[in-house]
Parts: sequence; structure tokens; C-alpha cells
Amino acid sequence: MTEPMTGTLDVVIAGGGRVGFQTAELLANRDHDVTIIEQDEQVASDLTDEWMATVITGDATDPDIIAQAGLERTDVIAALTGQTGLNLAVCLAASELVPGIRTVARIENGTGESYTRFVDAVVFPERAGARVAANEIAGSDVQTLADVTGDLDVMIIRVADGAPAAGRDLSEVRFPAGTLIVSGEEGNRIARPDTTLTPGSRYLVAVEPDVVDEVLNLMRG
Amino acid sequence: MSSQHRSPSAELGLLDATMIGMGAMIGAGIFVLTGLASEIAGPAAILVFALNGVVTAFTGLSYAELAASIPRSGGGYAFVREIFDDLASFLMGWMLWFAYMIAGALYALGFAPNFLELLHVYGVVPSPGQVGALAVPVVDAAVPPAFLLAFVAVLGLVALNAVSTAASGSVETIFTVVKVTILLVFVGFGVASPRFSGAEFQPLFTEGNGVTAILPAMGLTFIAFEGYDLITTVTEEVKNPRENIPKAIFFSLAATVVVYMAVVSVAIGTLGADGLAAAGEAGIAQAATSFMPTGLPVIQNGGALIVFGAVFSTLTALNAVVIASSRVAFSMGREGQLLPSFGQIHHRYGTPFVAILASAVVMLGSVALPTKSAGNMSSLFFLLSFIVVNVAVIRLRRERPDMNRPYEMPFYPAPPLIGIALNLVLAGVLVRYLIRVDPLALALSVAWILLGGAAYLGLNRLKRGPDRDRRTDVDADQVPEIDD
Repeated sequence: MTEPMTGTLDVVIAGGGRVGFQTAELLANRDHDVTIIEQDEQVASDLTDEWMATVITGDATDPDIIAQAGLERTDVIAALTGQTGLNLAVCLAASELVPGIRTVARIENGTGESYTRFVDAVVFPERAGARVAANEIAGSDVQTLADVTGDLDVMIIRVADGAPAAGRDLSEVRFPAGTLIVSGEEGNRIARPDTTLTPGSRYLVAVEPDVVDEVLNLMRG
Repeated sequence: MSSQHRSPSAELGLLDATMIGMGAMIGAGIFVLTGLASEIAGPAAILVFALNGVVTAFTGLSYAELAASIPRSGGGYAFVREIFDDLASFLMGWMLWFAYMIAGALYALGFAPNFLELLHVYGVVPSPGQVGALAVPVVDAAVPPAFLLAFVAVLGLVALNAVSTAASGSVETIFTVVKVTILLVFVGFGVASPRFSGAEFQPLFTEGNGVTAILPAMGLTFIAFEGYDLITTVTEEVKNPRENIPKAIFFSLAATVVVYMAVVSVAIGTLGADGLAAAGEAGIAQAATSFMPTGLPVIQNGGALIVFGAVFSTLTALNAVVIASSRVAFSMGREGQLLPSFGQIHHRYGTPFVAILASAVVMLGSVALPTKSAGNMSSLFFLLSFIVVNVAVIRLRRERPDMNRPYEMPFYPAPPLIGIALNLVLAGVLVRYLIRVDPLALALSVAWILLGGAAYLGLNRLKRGPDRDRRTDVDADQVPEIDD
């Protein structure tokens, strides 16, 4: 993490399959710089056509290929292939090459939490997907944050010190169309025009993907 | 970036993308610089524009390859940032930012005499040469009206862009069509006029200057081909960028060369190289008034249409570079290469407010420069940044051979190498010319680079201070928290 407060992160994603692709799309919408390493030439070519990430064709465990992703300037590397062992290898190699880098590995089963000894975070997409499916099946009115239908992003955003909107009332800030600040400070009150965006506090925000980067700029700087 | 999201625009096709490139190129350059180019090169000004088109085509190839493979809507700076280390990418951004800002001053300076000419055609004011200086009581000094007009034009467009994000791609297409139509009317009437049929293009090379005069004139007018950079800033919205971006770059470049050559031929054919040179920034406008029909309804004098075209083109081009320059500063702020406030959008206006204001300060100051100095400086910095873009292509090919490149230029590595060589030659000739004729412009250019070096060191020191504390925090709790 070279500079966690600035807007743009440099992210390398190993594996451009379904998980890697969706992740890259979300990150690119948030105005982060994404590089994808993908072994399959056809998949890599399709990814390139999406024009949202720089794409490198090759094996993510090959040092030559990793070097081409420019790791020394990368903030986070996420290994999102379907193979836990490969993901761990990529993360370990990356930490070896660039000690300060943040590593995220995709795992295949719930017992993988112990891997956090080797990587900074693990993700288990199947469980997240299962939660969505369970919510749909149960038809619950209450859904957790990760399970929003459609394209809307519902996020909890902490207002950063010195961000353009920090310390201002909602009535003073003109958010782009497609933004809804849902909760007030502390999350116990629906936001009102006189709600203040206090630095350090978290706010529940519903955003259309097109304007996520702008909302983050206003609230995070 | 932000403006596009505020009102999500329709996808841009090949035609739209080509129009954006043409609109950015065919604007002020042709109206403002034709007179100045023929002052240096005589009738060979025709060749000057054609050769510049050829030179810039090599860099166009590099832009096409980079834009298709690096998905960033930031133009030249974004590509170089991807490939080079901090200092090199900082300098690239710093130079490109300056080039756009000085271009802004150039267009404002071109706008003023053309606007006065328009007023003159309708008899509101005496002919431009005879307008006396205006006395400004506050500073107790005489300020020429052209300077004042240029200043006001920059101020107005900066204010507009600082508080509104309304400018969008579809308007750009209409602007381009208007500009090109007016130029075609100019060419059509010009070729038909009796003055043109007796035109003298010989000797092509004026005595005493010869072929060597072409190179400095190319340096001065190089900025007239600055513009396809703008296509690469909207790649995100272009349909099928893999095919359309390279095509749009080449189509707009080819169309621009054709239009330029036609316009310059007619201008020289009707007004003569000497007359054109004497008219300076208002060259095309004065050529038009010499042959366009008079006694038309509404506009009365046909020449007024062309003069209007010049006023319109310089203003829209000024608007485009206000946006382009602030966009470079904004990207640099986002990347932590300028103060973070440069990369923030205003809480109420939704614009990169600080970036626009900072650009405005330099532009307003530069309006005091002579037009030719502004053209020279802007061209010099575009040449330098184009060299960097060509180097970037070579470096990317060598360091990342397995990166996907939807568009690969033919005959690599010849085009970027030729591009570097030609741009270097022009930059060298321009510098030599500046040493001889315009040391002020050269001194200011060097000063800007030195200022950049100081800013880079200062920023790094500023960043390192708090950053070191934060890093120990992160180490302390092992897993840093991501809040977004």
C-alpha cells in the first residue's frame, strides 16, 4: 500500500475468468487501474475487447509474466483463478518480489480462512453467491449489502478528511444523478438535507455504477 | 472524465470519433497560424502544413497502438504513466499540461484580432491596425484592445467550465461540421475568384530563406496538428475501439491535411504570401474579405462568414484546450503527481475546479505573450511530449511483450523511430530558431521545466512526511482496511 488515501489503486488480477472479470469491472468503475493476467488466449482477447483493463497473456506464476504487470507500482494483487494452490503461489511470489504489496487470494472452500497467515485477505465467491441464492429463494425483504439486485452498488463509504464533501451538509453538495445517500451519521437515521458528512463517519450510499467514481471522489477525495 | 459520467452520453461511432479529432485539429491553428507561417516560409507554407501532417502521422500510429491496448481515458499522460517511472511520467504530464495551456493562450490571441476584424467588417470599429490602445484608468497604463479581448475570452470560458460540465461530444460534432463547412465555402469561392486564377506560387521558396525556412515554419505550425490526443481521451465511449480508434486517428489526420492544403493554397493564391504575412493572425479572414461576394442578405459581406468562422473556431478550440489542460492536471492529481486537490471535483459544480483554476492562471498570464511565442512554445512542448509517447511504445513492446495489443502498428519499430527522429529534428530546429529570434519564449520554456523539477521534489518531500507515519500504522495492524 504505497498511498492508500489517493483515489486510484493499481491492481493486478491473476485470472480473467468469471470472478476475475466481474471484479475487474467493479474496480474499473471505481476508477482504479486494473491489469489482468490471463493464460487462455481466447479469454484474454475477449477481455481486451471490453477495454477496461490492460491484459497480459500468460501464466501468472511465470516471473517473466509477473514482471510485465509492473508489480513494483502495484498496490494490490488479487489471485482469482479457480485453483487455490495457484492463487496462493501467485500471492506468495508477489509478496516475495514486492514486500509491501497487499495480497488477496480466492479460495475454494470455507476452511481456507487459515490461509490469511500467508495472504492479507481471502475471498470465497461461491459462498457469496450462495448467500444471494438463499436470499432469492427465501424471498426475504431484508437483504445484506452484497446482495443487491440489478446493477446498483450499495456501499458503506467512510468520508475521508479533506475530501471535497467532508464537513459539508448534504444540501451543499451536488451529487451526480444516480446517487442516494441513505443513512446519516452512525447509521441510525435516514439522511436529510441538513445531514452533515462528517469526516471519519460511515454512510450508506446507493449508487449507479456510472457515477461510482465521482461519488467516491467527493466523499473520499 | 467526470463530465461524461454526469450525463452518460450515447456510444460514439467512427464518424463521431473522427469528428472529435478533426474538430480539435481544424480550429484555431489554420486561422491563426497561416499568416505567420507564410511570413517565415512564403508560398512554401503549403508544403509546411503537408509535411507536418506526415510527421505527425508517425506519432499517430503510436497513439493508436497505445490507446487500443491501455484502457485509460487520459490521453498521452495516462499512457506514459502506465509505462514510465514517477519522474518521467511527471515530466510528461507537466509538459503536456503546459502545451495545452499555452495553446489556450495562442487561441485566445488568435480570437482577438479576428473578432476585431468581424466588428470591422460591420463598421463597428475602424480596421484592426487603427484601433488605438485603450486607456485603463486603474493601472494607469494603455492596454491594447486585442490583449484585453483575449484575456476576457479566457476568463469567460474558464468560468463556464469551472461551474458547468455541460460540454459534450455531440456538440463537438456540430461544431466541427460548422467549421469545416465554412472552410469549404472559403475554398470554393476562393478557387472561383479571378484573383486565384492569376495566382503566383512561384517562386515557391522565397529568396534568402530557401528550403531552410520550411523547418522553423513547421515548428511554429506543428500545433495545428495537435488534437488527435483528444480522440484517445474518449476511447471509453467509442464503439469497438480496437478498430475505430486507429481509423478515427488516421481519417481525421488525412481529412485535416486535405482541408489545410486547400485553405492555405487559396489564401496564398488570393492574398499572396506577402499580404498573408502582413495580415498575421487574421490572415485567412483578410483573404476572405478580398474575394467573397458582398451585398448578401443578412450578413451583407460574404467575407464576414469566414471571419465568423475564425472567431467561432478559435473560441471552440480555446474551450477544448481549457478542458484538455485541466484534464491533464486532474489526472496528475489523481495519480498523486500534483497536490491531491487537483484531482478532486468540486462539491457543488462537479468539475475539476482546482485543476481548471490553476490552468487558468497560467493561461491568463500567457495571454501577454506575442502570438508567435505562444505558438512556438506550445509546438515545442507538443513535440517533446510526442517524442515521449513514441518512446513509450517501444518501451512497452520490449518490457511487456505478452500484453494484448488489439491494434499493432505495421512495420514496427520503424514508425516510432522515425517519429522520434523527425520530432527531434523539428524540436531542435525550433530551439535554434528560438535562440536566434525569440529568447524570451525559450527562457520561459526552460523556466517551466525547472519549475516542474522543483514542484516534483517539493511534492515528494511533502508526501514522504505523512506517508511514513501511515506506513507504520499499516504495519502495526497487519491488514490495512479498505474503506470503499
